[in-house]
Amino acid sequence: MPRYLRIVLLLTPGLGLVVVMMSMVIYRAVAQSFGLYNFGGEDILSLAHWQEMFDNRRYWSALRWSGYIATTSALLSVALAYPLALWLRRPFFGSTILSAMIKAPYFVPGLVAAFLLINVISFHGFVNEFMIWIGLWDKPVRMQNDENGYAIIGLQVWKQLPLAFLLLLGSIQSIPDSVLHAAQDLGAGTLARFRRVVLPLTMKAMQAALVLIFIGAAGDFSFQAIAGPARKNSMATLMTQLQGSNYSDWNGAAVVGVTLMGLSLVGAVALAGFVQLMTKFTENVR
Amino acid sequence: MKRRHISTILAIAVSFALFFWLAIPFAMAVMWSMVDPGHPWSYPDILPPKLSFERWRVVWETTSLPTAMLNSYTLAPVAGICTLLLAAPTAYAFGREEFRGKAIAQVVILIPLVLPGFVTAVFFASLLLSLGIFEKYPAVLLGHIVLYMPYAVRILSVSFSQVQDDVVNAARDLGASPFEVFRAAYFPVLKPGIFAAFLIVFVLSIEEFAIAFIVGVPDFTTIPTILFSYLGFEFVRTNAAVVALILVVPNVILMLVLERLLQSANPASVSGKG
Repeated sequence: MPRYLRIVLLLTPGLGLVVVMMSMVIYRAVAQSFGLYNFGGEDILSLAHWQEMFDNRRYWSALRWSGYIATTSALLSVALAYPLALWLRRPFFGSTILSAMIKAPYFVPGLVAAFLLINVISFHGFVNEFMIWIGLWDKPVRMQNDENGYAIIGLQVWKQLPLAFLLLLGSIQSIPDSVLHAAQDLGAGTLARFRRVVLPLTMKAMQAALVLIFIGAAGDFSFQAIAGPARKNSMATLMTQLQGSNYSDWNGAAVVGVTLMGLSLVGAVALAGFVQLMTKFTENVR
Repeated sequence: MKRRHISTILAIAVSFALFFWLAIPFAMAVMWSMVDPGHPWSYPDILPPKLSFERWRVVWETTSLPTAMLNSYTLAPVAGICTLLLAAPTAYAFGREEFRGKAIAQVVILIPLVLPGFVTAVFFASLLLSLGIFEKYPAVLLGHIVLYMPYAVRILSVSFSQVQDDVVNAARDLGASPFEVFRAAYFPVLKPGIFAAFLIVFVLSIEEFAIAFIVGVPDFTTIPTILFSYLGFEFVRTNAAVVALILVVPNVILMLVLERLLQSANPASVSGKG
């Protein structure tokens, strides 16, 4: 059997299945956004569904909202993961337990995470009862479904911090101690060592963490549906609403779906580029 | 000495923070699941007035939770085995063959991971609708296989690359049949990888929500879709607490097992050589 045929046959069941299914799904979304595969009527290739969405205030509001939640969550998770990863770089008494506790939320399914948070911040949840008990607050504060999405961002950070932590930890651990000592001997302070040694050497891991968290948070449905403000939509909740039984607007949902894929791509490229620029800049600053 | 002092204090402080980070949320869920139906837990009680397993019994007997659990736990192992079988040849090619475009192929296999889950789910549903496939179980199964293929391929290709050529050759030279070569040279090295790949697909399939919700509902309920129904418009906190715990506890245990397996899946511990 020719070699290339052997390789093709080996790749078919796994990679082949993924490629066929995913390209069909993506093509489907794009085609439906332009009016093809129309379940409700005739297939007409047109920009009408895009135009309709562009005139829809809910579309823009969902796009802004998902972009805001995803950017904030990604930046916040990475900012919190850096000090933790630097601190737990070398094993010490109790560091294994600490690492395990940081990683634990990653294993908790999103829906469960949302439920856990709601219990803690609800009107008679732990935070309110505690603050009233110690006397800082006179009456319970409404924190659930807040207008600024702090609950969703908190959830994203709770669940995604472990990912950033693991990626950064692996990268930081691979920096030889001798490099850090050399920098110290040359008179670099803690901040300078971070900026000029750690940051450039962990740039790839930081980019990966930011991109993965951004994509995950941009496509979020569960946290928005459960803990998000009632009057706002994320791209995923808007898409399912349009497609769902009340509207059955598959074409509109497709426009939102394609936009969401675009948002993920643009956000990923922008964050990766931002990190690259920032690293270059801080390296040159004395 | 002073530095060590500071790090001890820091460790204690962060341990406390993490205790609140994890212990409080889970404790609240456990308590809510055990609130006695006859004694509601309301303001200003810090703790539930009476604890019982009554709620668990009620949820088990009056809701479709048993069906959902049956669905989830029959779907997940099948998804695990199918994914493993389909992923193995690709993993073999990634781990043991050199070919043009391999680097690209290794990136392309990750597409299911970066595409937003609900986009995949909605347009997978649209595809099924056009193809006239209304059978839910195979549809959700296919979705899970494709979605989690990247994990199985990644884990297994690392395992395949750790199989040592001289062991394979030695077995061949001794006249072993292909099956015996697999058993003697491949299987011992692949074993932790196989278990790890199966386990991760199993756990992720149990937790999967987007496809189960969009494609499966309302005829095919899984544990996450039941949970969502209690968290949505008809918010039933006590029922949600029961279902949340049923969903999360077995999976956390399995993930801990998985971590052990992944740690043991390194060449030194498997083949006895560095």
